[in-house]
Amino acid sequence: MKFTVTREQLHEGLTAVAASVPTKTTLPVLSNILVEASDDGLRLSGTDLDIAVSTVVAAEVDEPGSVTLPAKKLVEIVRELPSAAIRITTAGEQRVNLECGRSKFRLLGVSKDEFPSFPPVDFEDHWKVTSADLQKLIGHVSFATSTEESRPILNGVLWELRADRMRMVATNGHRLAKMDVPLTSAGSTADLIVPPKALDQVKKVFGPADEIEIARSENHLGFRCGATRVFTRLIEGPYPNYDQVIPKGNDRIATIDRQTIMSAVRRVGVVASDQTHRVRLSFSPGTLQFSVNTPDLGEAQDEISISYDGDAIEIGFNANYLLEILKLMPTDEVQLAMQAPERAATIEPVGWDDPAAYLCLVMPLRLVD
Amino acid sequence: MSKIEVLSDAVADQIAAGEVVERPASVVKELVENALDAGATDISIALETGGRSLIRVIDNGEGMEREDALLAIERHATSKIRNAADLVGVASYGFRGEALPAIASISKFELETTPRSGSEGTRVVVSGGRVDAVEPAVRQSGTTISVRRIFFNTPARRKFLRSQAAETRACVDAITLLALARLDVSFKLTSDDRVLIDVPQAGSVAERIGGLFGREMAEGMIPVDHQTPTLSVRGYIQRPADARPTGRKAFLFVNGRPFKDPFLVRAAETGFRGAATPGTKPSMVLSLEVPGEAVDVNVHPAKQEVRFKDRYFLEKCVEEAVRGALSPVESAPGWEGGGGTVARWHGGTGFHASGSGAQDGVELPPSFFAPEEEGTVAPGIGELLQVFNTFIVCETSEGLTFIDQHSAHERIIFESAMRQLEGDEAVSQRLLIPITVDLNSNELEAVEAHSDVLASVGFEIEPFGGRTVMVHATPNPHPRFDAKACFEELATDLARERFGSLPNRLHRFAATYGCRAAVKAGQKLSASEMRNLLVGLFACDLPPHDVHGRPTIVRLQREELERKFGR
Ligand SMILES: Nc1ncnc2c1ncn2[C@@H]1O[C@H](COP(=O)(O)OP(=O)(O)OP(=O)(O)O)[C@@H](O)[C@H]1O
Ligand SMILES: [Mg+2]
Repeated sequence: MKFTVTREQLHEGLTAVAASVPTKTTLPVLSNILVEASDDGLRLSGTDLDIAVSTVVAAEVDEPGSVTLPAKKLVEIVRELPSAAIRITTAGEQRVNLECGRSKFRLLGVSKDEFPSFPPVDFEDHWKVTSADLQKLIGHVSFATSTEESRPILNGVLWELRADRMRMVATNGHRLAKMDVPLTSAGSTADLIVPPKALDQVKKVFGPADEIEIARSENHLGFRCGATRVFTRLIEGPYPNYDQVIPKGNDRIATIDRQTIMSAVRRVGVVASDQTHRVRLSFSPGTLQFSVNTPDLGEAQDEISISYDGDAIEIGFNANYLLEILKLMPTDEVQLAMQAPERAATIEPVGWDDPAAYLCLVMPLRLVD
Repeated sequence: MSKIEVLSDAVADQIAAGEVVERPASVVKELVENALDAGATDISIALETGGRSLIRVIDNGEGMEREDALLAIERHATSKIRNAADLVGVASYGFRGEALPAIASISKFELETTPRSGSEGTRVVVSGGRVDAVEPAVRQSGTTISVRRIFFNTPARRKFLRSQAAETRACVDAITLLALARLDVSFKLTSDDRVLIDVPQAGSVAERIGGLFGREMAEGMIPVDHQTPTLSVRGYIQRPADARPTGRKAFLFVNGRPFKDPFLVRAAETGFRGAATPGTKPSMVLSLEVPGEAVDVNVHPAKQEVRFKDRYFLEKCVEEAVRGALSPVESAPGWEGGGGTVARWHGGTGFHASGSGAQDGVELPPSFFAPEEEGTVAPGIGELLQVFNTFIVCETSEGLTFIDQHSAHERIIFESAMRQLEGDEAVSQRLLIPITVDLNSNELEAVEAHSDVLASVGFEIEPFGGRTVMVHATPNPHPRFDAKACFEELATDLARERFGSLPNRLHRFAATYGCRAAVKAGQKLSASEMRNLLVGLFACDLPPHDVHGRPTIVRLQREELERKFGR
């Protein structure tokens, strides 16, 4: 194998792939990047067995071939090299020489035979979405997934693809996030449960202007744009019927300035219990009062003006859940709708100038004595 | 002719002896107590054939004039009290004037004594209560009493003696007890020329415990020091992790006097609750200082029991003392099983005379334990390092502290669950999608039987038909909490265990819940999670011990590390 590549090209390719390389692994070859030189250029691939990322960068290939190289070292070397042509040649099965200007490195690779092969996903049949839409969905929804091992389904993000829209939903049972965006190019209907880690990669690897093709096999999902691909294992469903638990009749509706409520929650949250993070919200016409009372720690009270004309209601929440959601709300004002102190409350943006629809839901905390 | 007669003195003595002298060990106890009352600082005891053929006690005390030596073997002859009022708060071991005549009446008895005054020494030879000889003797000041052929004239009693080994052991126990009470005295016990106890005057209780039971035991002990305006409880308790279900040693002293009291031992055990595995019996050496009038020592023929004026208060103090001792970080084990406290055990003893009831010429028993220096309360939290995804290591001013993340978290959740079960409010996270759990019939029964306590910590459960239950709300003690797994494991545990009485039941439940809800070993924690864990742990009542009696903390002293590197 012999090829020449610019330092910039190689660096960009490595950055895309390196994120999928596990930092700790029991299978040593996984800490390597697969480097394949062919007439199409230079393909770089990495995987942790759950997720795989692969991309191609332009290179002048004199002699095709392939090898795997330690990802961390390769990235560090390339980062420190001057902006110039890099020449990489193999000497035997595993020895690799790297030259750039007057710098010379010799690295020890691992044979590519040990590198796992990528899941077979056929892109013949695919959906097309814009990276911008996908990023918006991921950015607003995937935080709400659960990490509980006993409910693996909730560890994934539900991604519904329909003729005219797509939707992502995630919940850990305590809070839920849901977003819809309209679709123009219709594809077939599908319900996919995707690990949030894979969605993170997708968000990182593809640029905002990209058009992404998405295809699935039996239990894998592939994302493709140009020569760059991301593959992930799918979580097997069915996803719980979330629609049933989203309250439709929440009629106590408050409209609140987002920054104002966030800073109030953060302030009183300082004395909330480390374990439960409980803050109590009391709504009455025109005002929202906050109170926290943590035995052994202290108390806090605060008050903000809101627009509310429903019946007075008192409801407790985990401050962290509230803040997480409020931070992601895309508008200056939000609408918080409730029904009863033990029922789900919903939070939605007010006057969002976007075709997408966003809704979050948070379950209250209850006091037991 | 009347059928009632006054018994001869000799017979009366023998009957009284039945109360004072049960076996060789009681003779040893009485003679050694006399030596202590006489101000001896060095006492040696020799046994032959477990005390059957010979018990000899040699002291360097004040000795007796000839006149007193003869009086000493008369009933009710005592130098220690003069009237009934003196009995209140009596500080000497003896006060009845019963022991020597009783012993002399059932043995071949010989007393050799020389007073400190410089007068001539005396030998008195008594056989079955009859004085055979009184003659001058040459001896340094002090007293030697030899008791040969115990029960030679009461064969019925002789038959009740147990094996030589058992009688010897009882003698060892008797001396052990007094040796723990009196650090200022050296004791030596030989049995058929084998040395069984040999302890020099000790500077600290730890040193004495080490001398009597071995260094290992001494290093596993946690100091107790609890003061109230009216009484103090001092001593040492065994580290919960070392406690075993059998073989416990429990030594109690009041104003330097050993006594037995199963209820106080139980009160001490209550103090261990939540820090020791139920069923284990931690060893303890506890010494109470109470005002003389608060305790009556004249209630048991062999003075083994005492009566307290305010038992309830006392038991409460003992329990608090034990809890208090378990709470500082210093009660965590050190490296290689040693106690972090060892280094501090070489303090002065600061013996002082106890409260009231001083008699002319009678040395008061020194108080048992001197207050120890204060240790640091909690280590300042520096950099934290997680190792093996199981332990947290942090540097403190004294060395390195290792924390078991699961045990520590278990302790935190256990204590907050206990408070919730005792009436504090709990916070329960409502669930959007209820968790459904399929149970077996035992588990279902156990969950139903515990529905009250499950609700108290935040589980809201509804039967769902068949063996399925729905969980609508759960506690949420930390972000990694896995409610479903916790509930399932809890149901399995509850179905397996027998919980018994109410306090026990709450306690066991909280322990089980703590264990299941806590972060597990093997879980990676973020820096802030580690910090929270430490802060939470040190806010607990008993940070260094988990609910099973295992340590949550192990400390590696800086000196230890330096020693290993030969610095
Ligand atoms: N080793 C000793 N050295 C000096 N005096 C002693 C010694 N043993 C006994 N005596 C004297 O003999 C007296 C009688 O001792 P004895 O043990 O019979 O009674 P006690 O110690 O006064 O009371 P008790 O029966 O409660 O032990 C003591 O009061 C003490 O004055
Ligand atoms: Mg006596």
